[in-house]
Amino acid sequence: MLTYLRKRIVSSALPLVVVVIGVFALARMTGNPASLYLPLNATEQMREDFATRNGLDQPLWAQMVDYFGGVLQLDFGTSLRTGESAAAMALRAFPATLQLALTTMILAIVLAVIVGSWAALKPNGIADRIASFVSMAAASIPDFWLAIVGIWIFAITLGWLPTSGVGSSASWILPIATLMMRPFGALVQVVRGAMVSALSEPYIKLARSKGASQKRVITRHALRNAAAPALTVAGDLTVGLINGAVVVETIFGWPGIGKLMIDSILQRDFAVLQAAVLLTAIAIFVLNILIDLAYALLDPRVRPASARFRRKRTPEKPVTPADPTPTATAQA
Amino acid sequence: MTFEPTFGSTDKTGSTRRRLALALTSATVGSTMLLSGCAVANSDNAEGDANAASDTLRVVLQQEPPTLEPCESNLTSTGVVDRSTITEPLVERNPSSGELEPKLATEWSSEDDTTWTFKLREGVTFHDGSDFTAEDAAHTIERAVNSELGCNVEGYVFGDDDLTVEVVDDTTLTVTTAGADPILPLRISFLEVVPSETSDTEKVREPIGTGPYKLDEWQAGQKITVSAYDGYWGEKPAFPKAEYQWRDEGTVRAAMITSGEADIAMGLAPEDQIGDLGVPYPNNETVALRMHTDKPPFDDIRVRQAVNYAIDKEGIVASLYAGREKVAAQLVPEGIVGHNTGLEGWPFDLEQAKSLVEEAKADGVDTSAPISLIVRNAQFPKIEELGQVLQEQLTQAGLNVELKLLETSQHLQYQVRPFVEDEGAILHMTQHGNQAGDAAFTVGQYMETDGAQSAFGTPELDAMIEEANAATGDERQSAFEEIFAYQNEEIVQFAHIMHQTGMIGKAENINYEPNSSTGDELRLAEIKPAQ
Repeated sequence: MLTYLRKRIVSSALPLVVVVIGVFALARMTGNPASLYLPLNATEQMREDFATRNGLDQPLWAQMVDYFGGVLQLDFGTSLRTGESAAAMALRAFPATLQLALTTMILAIVLAVIVGSWAALKPNGIADRIASFVSMAAASIPDFWLAIVGIWIFAITLGWLPTSGVGSSASWILPIATLMMRPFGALVQVVRGAMVSALSEPYIKLARSKGASQKRVITRHALRNAAAPALTVAGDLTVGLINGAVVVETIFGWPGIGKLMIDSILQRDFAVLQAAVLLTAIAIFVLNILIDLAYALLDPRVRPASARFRRKRTPEKPVTPADPTPTATAQA
Repeated sequence: MTFEPTFGSTDKTGSTRRRLALALTSATVGSTMLLSGCAVANSDNAEGDANAASDTLRVVLQQEPPTLEPCESNLTSTGVVDRSTITEPLVERNPSSGELEPKLATEWSSEDDTTWTFKLREGVTFHDGSDFTAEDAAHTIERAVNSELGCNVEGYVFGDDDLTVEVVDDTTLTVTTAGADPILPLRISFLEVVPSETSDTEKVREPIGTGPYKLDEWQAGQKITVSAYDGYWGEKPAFPKAEYQWRDEGTVRAAMITSGEADIAMGLAPEDQIGDLGVPYPNNETVALRMHTDKPPFDDIRVRQAVNYAIDKEGIVASLYAGREKVAAQLVPEGIVGHNTGLEGWPFDLEQAKSLVEEAKADGVDTSAPISLIVRNAQFPKIEELGQVLQEQLTQAGLNVELKLLETSQHLQYQVRPFVEDEGAILHMTQHGNQAGDAAFTVGQYMETDGAQSAFGTPELDAMIEEANAATGDERQSAFEEIFAYQNEEIVQFAHIMHQTGMIGKAENINYEPNSSTGDELRLAEIKPAQ
């Protein structure tokens, strides 16, 4: 497993560098930030001073060398907009997004498993139809609309919840409920589909015929086998959320990374954008490894694959002469 | 789910399942801990807010201030918190009367409009307890105007020329300009005073000022809290505490007022469903189209006149803006020195517009040349609709207009010199806010031949502007009036559309009358609980 991890880390370092270089170059191609930060009647002299002060008068490669030199010393530059350290701004915003994303996903998965399994018990039954309607609706409602309607109903009309902000635990409810809809809807569909096919497998008949209870059949036999496809989809959905839930963060005033990235793009705040992109790229990379590990835990068919992979790697050379042997054994 | 007693002991997958269950549990617990940690850190929950309402004034802004650096407080998002709340200037312009009033300076005068003497208020202290003296005032000017700090206010109000500052004694200061400048005190009103210890090589994010409120805490991304400063030289403000939050969405800001979570909400539009709690005020913003005359068809004055005739300003104001805005005939609204009350908006006359275009065409002007109507996304309410209406009306007059909706940074390339080159004729939608109260801040930038936001001018107009800038009193007023009339008759660089109205949301338990500068400086000390 450690070898596997090491390989993953090495092979992911390159994409990370490519992403950061890409963002670095593309961001600068969108134009000079000077006019955003200087008064509208700024003179040529002031523009030049601004460029010199922020190193924007250097050629792109020189700026890049300078930047990566800083990154190696963990200096990610200073925000043009606020004058703060870009790394500090990104690190401050990220936990807010992470908390929101993880809580949302855990709730979405738990609810989707319950609703999806319930629907799969009697395909095309009344429960299935309700679940399918609800999940389709949940997956297709635009989140900005849902957020505004949620505020209108629960904060203004009923007065149960705060409109926005991060002040109290009640203020988590609307953002999470809004954010949860899409993953929940998608996951219900996946869980239901996987459960329907798992429940029609012969091993379920066998389990039933040996007298296993309904609960046991569902939780231990069917759900376990249905978990892999659900995990794949859940992983993708989580990656999307960690990237920042821009709409929800913006509407509810949630100080997360998605809003920070959008703001720094609009404000051409390059250092902050780069720091935020690097941070989310690392997080997504870690998440992908976790998903792979979870796969191995879930599905026995995946585990031998990684074990075989490890065996093959260590005795690389001795294997070659032994090559005919397995064939012979197989024939025998 | 309940576990059966046989769980795990018989089959091989039991240990895996336990691990998975453990992983899930720890993930849930972990995130719950994160959650509760956050909740504990902000233990003043909804309940606390309700109780606090009586002594804490809650303001919701459009955005988090990028910084509270006083020398950037000409930027709306910074100034709205700083100005006359945390920090104070030497002199302050009364937004209603336009007169300059004493603040940290009690009187000021000049013999020759070049050297100005300021008498400073005694008994003023900064929030750190130190005394305010002429040294601090001099340092403030040096720091903002003469240093290498790159302060936004420097370019905005002072340009390239440095000021010579001299401390005469503890309460007397002289400021000398390079040339005669009759409105130097007005320019000085943009400088928020900081203590002489403030760095002039680095900007500060959290200022120390002399204002009625001192900065307590800035929870980045969440809120800024201030409290009344005990040693304040003036009248004690009504609210002992205040807090600022920020929300991007107007509907959410409005909802915070209607649900009782905030007392004042900035930057609302009637579409935000604020109802009776919305309070309109003139915000000194004017919307106009600027025609770049370097390319056909705008190089012909008849086409520029046709654009003015083709726009149904009354119709736009009535249908898009429900009659809130006022049809404009010049770049500054009433209340600004130099506003010409005699000017009327161009009448809507489509036939006249058509025939002017035809006439120009007959004389060889390429009236079918593509025109880009440059509009900034979300710059003000219903701007996209306005762009579409204008495109349609100009097309009817026989022009070939394409609407381009751009984001701020791209839009600026069309707004400010050097203008974008590789484009057809440019028709730029400009929103101009004159927050200084004097037309000098408008005409120099928008009408002079090489003004930063001017695309056309003549030597005659430049001479008129130069003369007006140096004039004082009634002469100044009429000199600028003449300039605005001259633009409409001889220059026609602009097709003016409307003077705008701003709106704030105000809870019922609050007593506050917004004025034309509210959007740029919300003076918390003027806000009181309703009786």
